[in-house]
Parts: sequence; C-alpha cells; structure tokens
Amino acid sequence: MAVLSSLPIQLAWLIPCYGFLGMAISLPWASGWIKRSGPRPAAYLNLLLTLVAVVHGGLILRSVGRLGPQHLQFSWFEVADLHLQISFELSLTTLACLALVTLMSLVTQVFALGYLDKEWSLARFYALLGFFEGAMAGVVLSSNLFISYFLLEMLTLSTYLLVGFWYAQSLVVTAARDAFFTKRVGDVLLLMGVVTLSVYAGSLEFTDLYAWAPGAGLSPLVANLLGLGLIAGPIGKCAQFPMHLWLDEAMEGPNPASILRNSVVVTCGALVLLKLMPLLQISPLAVTVLLIIGTISALGGALVAIAQVDLKRAFSYSTTSYLGLVFIAIALQQPLIALLLLFSHGMAKALMFMSVGSVISTTNCQDLTELGGLAPRMPATTTAFLVAAAGLTGILPLGCFWALALMVQALQDHSPLATGTVLLTHGLTAFNLVRVYRQVFLGPSQPKTRRTPEVGWLMALPMVCLMVIVLSTPWLMMRFGFVSGSIGLSSSSVLAVVITGLLGTLAGFRVELNKTWSRSVQRPLRLLQDLLGQDFYTQQLYQRTIVTWVASLAALTDQFDRQVVSGLVNRLGRASLSSAEALRYGVSGQLQTYVLTIIVAILVLLSTLSWVYR
Amino acid sequence: MLTPLLLIPFVGAALLLFSPAQTPPGRLRLGAILVLTLQLGWCLAVLARFDPTTTGMQLQESFSWVPEIGLDYRLGVDGLSLPLLLVNAALTLVSVICTRDISQRPRIYFALLLTISGAVNGAFLAGNLLLFFLFYELELIPLWLLISIWGGAQRSYAATKFLIFTAISGMLILGAFLGLALFTGTVDFSLTPVLTERLAMGQQLLLLGALLVGFGIKIPLVPFHSWLPDAHTQASTPVSVLLAGVLLKLGTYGLLRFCLGLFPEAWAVLAPWLALWAAVSVLYGSLAAIAQTDMKRMVAYSSVGHMGYILLAAAAATPVSLLGAEFQMVSHGLISALLFLLVGIVYRKTGTRNLDVLRGLLNPERGLPFTGCLMILGVMASAGLPGMAGFISEFLVFRGSLDRFPVATLACMVGSGLTAVYFLLLVNRAFFGRLAITRSLDPIQDARLDIQLAPVAPRETLPATALALAVLGLGLLPIGLGRISESTTTAMAWAGGSVESVERPQPAPQAQPVANAISRAMNSGITMGGEG
Amino acid sequence: MPVIPELLTRAGGMPSLEALTERLLAGDTLLLDTPDNLVEVVDSLASYGVVLDAYSTNLIYQAEAQFLNPFPLFKYLEGDLSFAKIWRHLCHDRINYEYAEYCMKAMLWHGTGGLDRYLDSPDFDASCAQIIRRKLRRDPLLALLHPLFPAFLPELIRMAATTHALGQFWRVMSDLFLNLAEAEGQGRISGIAAVVEFISAGLQRAAPESITYAVMIDGESHWVLPPEAGLTFLTDVAVPYVEAVFLRGMPFFGTVSFNAQAQQISPDQSQFTYGALFADPLLTMGAGIPPSLLMQDMGRHLPERLHQRYLRQGRGDGDGRVKLCASFQKAMFCVTNGAIDGTFPAPLSSCDPAAQAANHAHATGWAHRLAASRTDCLGWDGRADQCLP
Repeated sequence: MAVLSSLPIQLAWLIPCYGFLGMAISLPWASGWIKRSGPRPAAYLNLLLTLVAVVHGGLILRSVGRLGPQHLQFSWFEVADLHLQISFELSLTTLACLALVTLMSLVTQVFALGYLDKEWSLARFYALLGFFEGAMAGVVLSSNLFISYFLLEMLTLSTYLLVGFWYAQSLVVTAARDAFFTKRVGDVLLLMGVVTLSVYAGSLEFTDLYAWAPGAGLSPLVANLLGLGLIAGPIGKCAQFPMHLWLDEAMEGPNPASILRNSVVVTCGALVLLKLMPLLQISPLAVTVLLIIGTISALGGALVAIAQVDLKRAFSYSTTSYLGLVFIAIALQQPLIALLLLFSHGMAKALMFMSVGSVISTTNCQDLTELGGLAPRMPATTTAFLVAAAGLTGILPLGCFWALALMVQALQDHSPLATGTVLLTHGLTAFNLVRVYRQVFLGPSQPKTRRTPEVGWLMALPMVCLMVIVLSTPWLMMRFGFVSGSIGLSSSSVLAVVITGLLGTLAGFRVELNKTWSRSVQRPLRLLQDLLGQDFYTQQLYQRTIVTWVASLAALTDQFDRQVVSGLVNRLGRASLSSAEALRYGVSGQLQTYVLTIIVAILVLLSTLSWVYR
Repeated sequence: MLTPLLLIPFVGAALLLFSPAQTPPGRLRLGAILVLTLQLGWCLAVLARFDPTTTGMQLQESFSWVPEIGLDYRLGVDGLSLPLLLVNAALTLVSVICTRDISQRPRIYFALLLTISGAVNGAFLAGNLLLFFLFYELELIPLWLLISIWGGAQRSYAATKFLIFTAISGMLILGAFLGLALFTGTVDFSLTPVLTERLAMGQQLLLLGALLVGFGIKIPLVPFHSWLPDAHTQASTPVSVLLAGVLLKLGTYGLLRFCLGLFPEAWAVLAPWLALWAAVSVLYGSLAAIAQTDMKRMVAYSSVGHMGYILLAAAAATPVSLLGAEFQMVSHGLISALLFLLVGIVYRKTGTRNLDVLRGLLNPERGLPFTGCLMILGVMASAGLPGMAGFISEFLVFRGSLDRFPVATLACMVGSGLTAVYFLLLVNRAFFGRLAITRSLDPIQDARLDIQLAPVAPRETLPATALALAVLGLGLLPIGLGRISESTTTAMAWAGGSVESVERPQPAPQAQPVANAISRAMNSGITMGGEG
Repeated sequence: MPVIPELLTRAGGMPSLEALTERLLAGDTLLLDTPDNLVEVVDSLASYGVVLDAYSTNLIYQAEAQFLNPFPLFKYLEGDLSFAKIWRHLCHDRINYEYAEYCMKAMLWHGTGGLDRYLDSPDFDASCAQIIRRKLRRDPLLALLHPLFPAFLPELIRMAATTHALGQFWRVMSDLFLNLAEAEGQGRISGIAAVVEFISAGLQRAAPESITYAVMIDGESHWVLPPEAGLTFLTDVAVPYVEAVFLRGMPFFGTVSFNAQAQQISPDQSQFTYGALFADPLLTMGAGIPPSLLMQDMGRHLPERLHQRYLRQGRGDGDGRVKLCASFQKAMFCVTNGAIDGTFPAPLSSCDPAAQAANHAHATGWAHRLAASRTDCLGWDGRADQCLP
C-alpha cells in the first residue's frame, strides 16, 4: 500500500517530462516528415499526455495529502564546489499550482483544436504547447533556484516561438522579437542574481537560501543589486512596468497561447517571485521597488486597459494590472493572498480569453468599435464572459472577491496607500469589463457581427468546463486551505470591495460608448486617450532610448572596426609589403615564395637557436 | 597510443596526395572520410583508456628528438586537451562530409584538410614547447592555401591578411619560447611552470606579454581580431567550420596551457587587466556583430565575443571557471561550426548571405524550413539558452569568475544578452516574414514574387543535425565532459592560484570572507575602474 | 557554382485596369491560352471536383443528420462508425472538411445575395419558430438556453441552411468539373477558351435549379428553405459564393494582423481582398493559411498527368502544393471568367450603343474588382512557365 501511494511521488519527475515528450512526439508531423496525412495525431497525442499529467498530478496530490509534503532531489551537475541539482517540492501549494497549469493546458489544448481547426501547422503549435506546459510544470514544482531559472528561460524561448507561430505576418515578427528581448533582459538580470547567489550562498536550494539570507552579511550595495537582479526576472515574466510591452505585442500570437500566457505563464513568474520572497529581506530596496512597480502596474495597467480598442489588448493590460496587485501583496509580505489572487485571476482570465477567442473566431474581428450585439446569439461565449468578469471582480463571492477582500483587510491598517491602489484597480477593472461587455455583447449588431452563430463544441465545451471551475473557486480555495471556512472577514473590507466593484460597474454602464470611443473630439480628453491608448508611449520611449543607444553603439563599434582597426592593419600591410597591390592581388602567383619565406624563417630561427645553445 | 593520432591524418594526407591524378573527387572524399572516421575512432579509444581521476599528462610518449635545441618528441593527453582532440576529430570529419562539388584540385584540398587535422592533433598533444610550435605553424600554411585557392572573390586579401596575422602570432610565440630559454639559460622546453625562483617577474611579464599577444591574435581577441571576419567571409563553409570550431581553440588552448600554465605568477599579476580585456572583447565583438548584415560576418564577430569568455575564465583561474573555459571551448566549437554549416546551406541555396535581402526562409514548401529550425536552435544555444551547450558553459564561466572579477563578469553577462540581440535579429530577418531573396522594393510587387530555391536534401543537413544533437546532449547532460576535465582544470586552478592559495580554497558554505572580498573588490573598483 | 539570387526570383506582370476591361470586352480569356495552362486548369479542376464531391456530401450530411446537435463528435464520419474509419480519422488520413466549413462560414458571415436575404425574412423566422418548437420538446439543454438567448437557435439554423446550400452548390460544381476533365480527356476541349465556355454553359444550365433544404425532426420533415422561397442556384448561391470565397474571403491569421490599433483589416467587409483570387500561393502550407487544407486534399487526388508535370518543375513533390495552388488560382480565374462571360447584359457582338455601354460598365466593374488580384498568374507578360535548372 505504501509503495503504491508513494509510486506517483517517486515518479514526480515525469510530470515536466510529459510536456517535453509531447513536443518530441509531435516532431514527425511538425517537421513535415509525415506529409501524406495531416497533423492532428500530434494534437491528440499531446492532449493524451497532458491528460496523463493531470491524472498523475492528481495521484500525487492524494498521496501527499496522506503522507505530507515530499521533497525530491536529483544531482545534475557536480564539479569542484558547484552542486547543481534538480529538485522538486511536492506540497499542497505546489501541487495546486501544478493542477492549475496542467488543467489550463488541457482545456486550452481542446479549445485550440476548435480555434485552429483550419491550421495546417497544428503539429508545431502543439509541440510548442507541450514545451510550454513542460517548462511551466517544472517551474511550479521546482524547489531550486537554478532549475527555476533554467525553466523560466525555456518559457522565454517557447513564448518567442509561440508568439512567432504565424511567422510570415509582419507584426508577428516584431512582436516575437520584442517578447524575447524584454523577457531576456529580465532573464539576464536574474542570471546575474542566480550566479551571485551561487557564489555567495553555495547551494541554490530555496530552503538553503532561506537559511543563508539572514546572516548573509553582504554589503548594502551588493545586497541591493542582488535583490534587484532577482526581481528583474519575474518583472519581465509578469509583464510589469516597465517590461510589460511584450504582453501587448504577444497578442499577435494565436489565441490559445494567449489564454495560457495571460493566466498561467504570468502566474509562473509570480510563483518564482513568491519563492524568492524570503530572500528579499536582504535588500529593502528591492522590496520597495517591487511595491512601486506593483503599484504603477496595477493602476497604469488598469487605466491603459480602459483606453484600448482591441479586444485582446483590453484584457492583456488588465493582466499586467492584476499581477501588479500580486506584486504589492508580495512586497507587503502577504504570500497567501498573492497565491489566492494568482489562482483566482489565472482561472478567470483564462476563461475570459476563451470567450474573447470565440468572439474573434466568429466575427474575424478584434476591434471593439466594430463589434456589438452578440449576447442573444452566443450563449456559451456570453456566459463565459460574464462568469469570468464575475471571477475577476469582487462583487460576487467568487475567487477574486476573497483575494481582494483579504488583501484589503490585511493592508488597510498599516498601508492605506496600497489599500487605495487595490480598490482603485478593482473599480477600474470592473469599469473596463463592463464597457467591453457593452461594446461586444450589447447594442445593435454591426456588419461584422450580423451573422454570428455560436462556436462549435470543441471551443464551447472547454469554456463551459472552465466556467464550472471558476464558479467553484470558493469551494476549491477551502479545499486547498487557502481560505479557512468563514474566516473573519471584516465587514468593512467586504463592503469596500463590493462598493468599488459596484461603482465601477455602474460607471461602466453609464459611460457613453460610441464609435468615437477611440478618439474624443475634446483635445484634453483626446490627449489622455492617446496617452493611455498608446500605453504611455512606452514603445516609442524604448525606441528613442535603449534601442537607439544599442543600435548607435553597434554602428559606432562597426565604424571603429572598419576605419580604425581594419584600416590600421591595411595601412600597416601596405607599408610592410611596400605595395598595396601585393596585399590585394599578390597571392596566387607568388604562393611558393611565401611558403618558402615562412619555412626559411623557421629554419633560420631554429638553427640560430641550436647554434646559440650548442 | 597517441602517435597514431598524428600518423592517421598525415599518412592519409600523403596517400590522397599521391593517389592517381584521375581519381574522381567523390572517391577522394570517401577516402578522406574513411581516414577521419578512423581518427575519430582512435580518439574514442584514447577516451576509453583515459583515466579522468589523475591530473597530469597521460598515455605519454617521448623520446629525445633534437636534444641540442631541447626539441623532444613528447606527446601526452590530459583533461584539457582530450575534449579538444575529440572536437577536432569530429569537426574535421564534418567539414569533409559537408564538402560537395569540389572540382578544383580535389587531391590537394582533402590532403590539406587532413594535414590540418593532424597538425591540430599534434599541437594539442605536444608536451614540448618547440614541438607545439612546430605543429602550430604546420597548420597555418594548409589553412592559408585553403582560403586562397578555394575561397570567395576577395580571397587573396583575406588569405594574406590571415597569413600575416598568424605569422606574427607564430613569431611572437616562438620568440617567447626562445626568450624563455635565453633568460633562464637552459634549453628546457618542457611544460614546467616558470616561477620567480627561476626567472625575475619583469622577464616573466615580458614573455607572458609576447605569448598573450601571440595567442590573442589566434583566438582572436580585440584588437587583433581583424583577420577573422575577412577570413571567414572568404573561406568556404568547410574551412569556416574548421577555422571557428577547431583552429581558434589552438589560441585558447595555448592561453590556458602556456600562458597560465607556464607563468602562473605573472598571470596572477596581469589577471585583473586580462579580465578587463575579456570584457572589452566580449562587448566589442557583440556590438560589432549587431551592426553586421552579412550572416557569416555576424557569426564571425560572435566568435570574437564568445572567445572573450574564455579569457575571463582563464583570468579568474578558479576550478569552476577553468572548467567553464573548457566547456566554452567545446561548446563554441560545436555551436559555431553548426552556425557556419547552416549559413553555408543558406548561401548555397540562395546565393546571398545578406540580411537586408533574405526573408521568410522558414516557408515550408519553398524555403529552407529544417535549416531554419536548426538555425533557431543554434542561435539559441549561442545566446546561452538553458538546455543547450552554451548555457552550462557560460554559467560555469560566470559562476567561476564572479567572485574574482565581479564587474568584468557582469559586463560579459551583458555581452551574453547582446548575443541574443544580434542572433535574434538574424533569425527574424532571414527566416520570418514572406519568402524573398531580393531587396524589398514595393510591398505589392514583392508579394507577387515567385521564388524557386533548390531543395535541401536530408544528407545536406545531416552534419548540422548531428552537431545540433551534440549541442543539446552537452547542454542536458554536461556531466560527461565535466568528469573528463574536472581534475585537470582543478589542478590547473590550484597551480595557477598558488599565489593566493592562502585565500583561495574556501568551500562555498563559509561564504563570509569571500563575500567580503567581493564587496571589497566591487567597492574599491580597482579591477575594472574605467569599464563600468 | 555560385547561385545568383535574381535568377531564382520571378515576378509576373500586373495588367492595368484598361487592359483587363479590353480583354473582357474582346471576349478573350483572362488566362493566356497555352497547352500548359490547359493541362494545369483541367487537371487541377479534376482534383478539385473530387474534393468538392466529398465536401458536398459531408456538408449535406452535416446539415441533415447533425442538425442542432450540440456535440457533433462524428460529423466527419458520415454515419460510418467502423473502427477502420475512426482510426483513419484519428490519423488524420482524411479529407479536411474543415475547409468546407470555412467556406460556409465565409458565405454566412459576408451575407450577400438572395439566400442571405431570405434568412432575414419573416417566412424564415416562422419556419424557424416551428422547428425550434418541435426540437425543444426532446432537448432539455436547448429548452433551457432558448428563452435566455432567443437568437441562438435561429442563428444556428441559418448556419445549417448555408451549409446545406453550399453543399448543393458544390454538388453541381463537382459534377461540372469532373465532366470538364472527362471532356478534355475525350479531346472535346481544345483550349482555355473552351474551358471558360464549358464552365459558363454549365453555370447557365444549372442557373434555374432551385435550392431547398428540409430537416427531419421526430420523423417529420420541416422546410428550412422551402421551394416557395424561390432560391435558385446561380443568383442566390453561386454569386454570393464567388463574392465571399473568390473575392472577399476572410483575413488569414498568417498574413494579416487582427490588432485593432494596426488597422490592417478594413472595417468595411466589401473592401476585403482575401479571397481565392487574391491569395499568395507561395505561402501555401505555411502557418495560418487556411487554403493549405484544400491544397492538401487536392494534392491527394492529383491526376497523374499534372503530378508528372510538377515532378519536373522546381522541387518536384517538395513544393507540389505551392504549384498546385498556383494552378488552382489559374483555374479559379477561368471559373470567374466563365461567370463574367455568362452575366454580360448583352451579347458582346451587339452594335447597339446602349448595350455596348452596359457591357462596358459590366467589364469595368469586374476589372476594378480584379485589378489588385493575382493577375500575375495569367501569363500576359509572355513568360512561359519553364522549369528551372
């Protein structure tokens, strides 16, 4: 019996492998070796493997429930004083996160089967999803900073490849590039942190790091730089200001990948930050930065989202915004609330993006000003949107209600500013959801929404399943012990959350929506709309600063290399060979001469030597 | 056991050279492949006999050749040279396999390739300074001929530039070796470290300086790199593979074996400046690569950048960093060879390497999709993405060097980030978008272009696929290489760090003093003052 | 030997508006009449005919047997649930019916012509109401959803109606294309002009055929598109089909950004140029290019003559589906040509100025639509399709 229940645990290392195996299995179709028949077997096999991962995760969860948290460790690379290990932490929390990742992956893969039904590169897509899923499953289970870093970088790579999936489309090309660069900046800074920790602390196990941190005794400079390096990776992964640009552009990628990216990928980044949290006590500066970035992202993201005319982008900025709240919670030492928020947001946002995906696939349109009147015709899509919106806001007692109310309650006494940020973000999000709902689902139908039958079962079924999951989040939270029964939520915090939500909703219903939503005629309002619609001109800012700097530095180096280094060599060459012609054209004819010269030179040198030391 | 590694390629070269004049090129190529397979097999046999636990030279062979001048025929192998021997055997085989359509003087061509392989083997095996020098020079002339006869349109210029640079490099190295004899007054050209008891620090520094410039040209390090991009752009693909994959390693090998190995004390004195040099080289190479529009030049400049990591690791001379240097040599050998092979395929099919012109090569039917996939893998490996050989090498280098030269190491990490910039630009420009191989004029007209590229046969990508698998294998299971080299590099680190031995061997858990040393170094800024 | 990039690149001409108008009025075919073009057109239409046959059968099966089925798990199996067939479908060794649905959705979404008008008529609403009433008796899920989302089921019935109508249309087209191939095999078709004429005549012949659709609910037949609606083949289905699939099309994920801020997609559907006559054949089988499905299906039913020809060109089978797409585009120009010819208001030989003006307006209108299409494949620049070395 004991063996039977510990077997899934001993085989836990297989969980990330399922995803990677899925990728490997897809290769014959993805690479075009199998040309005669289509790519769908790759999709089915990936689905099957994900299902296996879900079941395996469930079995481990049961065993862990009985045996308590487990720790798995394998040695990967040990030389000199360097010990790199692969290790997994199997606790209720990590397994809940794993369940989130694998389940989301499963429903997304089913959804993709419908959404991408006329896609011939389906095998490549599923290969990349498998890669994605494997890396994410590894990140959430990892109990070792090295492996976390290792897999985060793989996530970066697979994000690049997934965003670049439709590689022939011009905006996809820039989007994939920017996604990779932004994340890579974060990753390189994180790598600096990882290497530094590896040198100072020796082991990269999180538990060892926690033990090391209090007595680290680093100088403030080193400690702060280290702290900043460590948070840079998650900042990039979670699309926080100022490294949030990629998430907007990544919306060029296929919608099923957007579902994962906006729900679980950002969650993975935040989980790594959560694991790093105890370490950050060495650097108060990093914590402050985290708080500031979180606040800016939460409010900025919510504001920018409101000004978007693109259906997908209106919600990708809201992802930035909610992850900002998670950052605030982490900065203020509220890991449980951060987790709760991650969970509820992840599931609701995934559902939201499914609804968005089915709108896009039915109307061929993402422009909010061209949509309208879908509600009476698309039951699953409409309900999914409403349930997701309820899950994201705190009006009904679904996931985010608990997370936000707990957060307000925990912060209201000692951090009124953060409390204000949470409530304001919540209100703005509610406003945004309502105005999008009105633009897409209510009102008269427009030319592009005149004929809009509900999507097929391959898209509707995962939506409905996820709807059920989102609706049951309160129960799930209690089951996993995030929320203990009728915890003493103070009525003031509950009221604050509900009231801000209602205010936002009300404002969303009252605001005037028309075709000119994108550009107002009033100049001040238009400037504000442009500022927010263009995401505070972040892209232009980057273009003017860092891109220009690197490009001109590169051009400068190249000029220097051509003019000075190479030029000097050429001049020297001409001088020494007495004729420029000799350098340029003189070889083929005088081959033998050169060989002779070299050989004679060597012989002369050797004989001189032998003569000297005779 | 080791002499066959010289005999096989040299005898093979002679046989090819004296084969009947009318032998078809295909037969010659097959012959060369057979010889090189034999060499690879023999290398593996050496690997099987190799004992990774001992630190010194193994399987030694020696007899006095010209005792008057101290030239001994002394061969040996250790954890530093063995992986490089394997890389040499593998890459020479790859370069012969990827040679196709050789119509011009095939006998000489294959003979020269074999000669290079043998000379490189000799240089890696040599246990005597003069013997090393002989082989070092021996490899030069065939390579020069390969560029100047089978190269591109500007081959004369490039070949001559290469010849002059490398000849100067050879002179400096020989000068340093002879100077050693002159200063110490003994004709001892063995590989014993020269310590202060034998030679004054000033003279040591002089000799080390000459060696550094000599090997710095070969590696190449900024500002002696000018020959490399020209040589690469003019050389044919197989030669580029050999040049980047194997011949540059002679420089780094010399750096580790002779500069660090012979003059540990002088090395310790110069180390901070070497770290600075490494950082400059890395950043310079990476920035210059960003500005390139010729794919091959870009890969060549990336070599300049990536070789800087090895200098950094050698400067730090800790066990981990030296192992990192070994890893970096092997992984750079594999990755740059892979990239050159792929650029070669693109060039052969499209007739251009210009990134202003190439677009959309991932197109599944008319483009080069499999080449594109391998290219993505190759550039990601080069950019240090985990799971591939580049990452573990860079990680080891950085991990080993950070506590000695924090600022230089961080600068090199920035360089690693820049690698991603230029290689991603390469992939995005050449492989994404709609297929095109001519300059873009007008979007509507361009969308009407019909492009007919010759298909890439599976056998053409076979060598690249094999290298890609090796890159993945080394990245996922690095412990194999780690076992081979660990004891040697560790021993080198202790010997090299003997000056600081009071402070050095500290196990990591007691990080306190080390940490203090780091913060001291960072605060005082002595190491890298003008750099950050 | 060095490869010279310019030699690997060819650009077809782009005929002017006037040239196109002139050619249409002169009664010349759009596609240049060459033996090569004839083989390409006839053989690609032959394989298209086979594929359309399968599409048509499946669409009609879906509309009749899978009517309002919320989980049409086996809709592509056409009732044959044998293990062998399921296995073949799991291995994706089958016709890609998804493409047929894609065309159906394009027709439904663009919504032009008589069929679409009928779908908005009170008669249709009435029959819908009756069908839904009958259907809800047995189906609790739909009974629950219908009151909440009153437009849900009618919209699905509109989709089913379009599905069936397209199935009927393709039934005719499939036979027409297969007959064309047979006629060519018997030597009755001598050039492109004859092909255009054959198609034009076929369309004329089928024009008055009526389009009807009834569903069985509980053993009782209900009209969705009754004969009384008077929907006919040419004007109510064929013309909207050409408009939706040949000309407008739907934007491909793989070539156009859906980003609202980038504004790459016109807000006006009638300005869309993503149809079959505008598609870039070079991108076939790439990511996000739906016609790849059709090319795959056609490639599997390619007549041996065309296959042999492809084997001698370029990469042989390696880029076969790109070449097939180019040939298919030529064939579609012939079909369009046939449709244009068949709808001239007056005979081209007419000397009446009013008739000439009407004809001129007709030709100019079409030339406008086709000016930006892939007219480079028509071969007007005198470029013969030669094999590259």
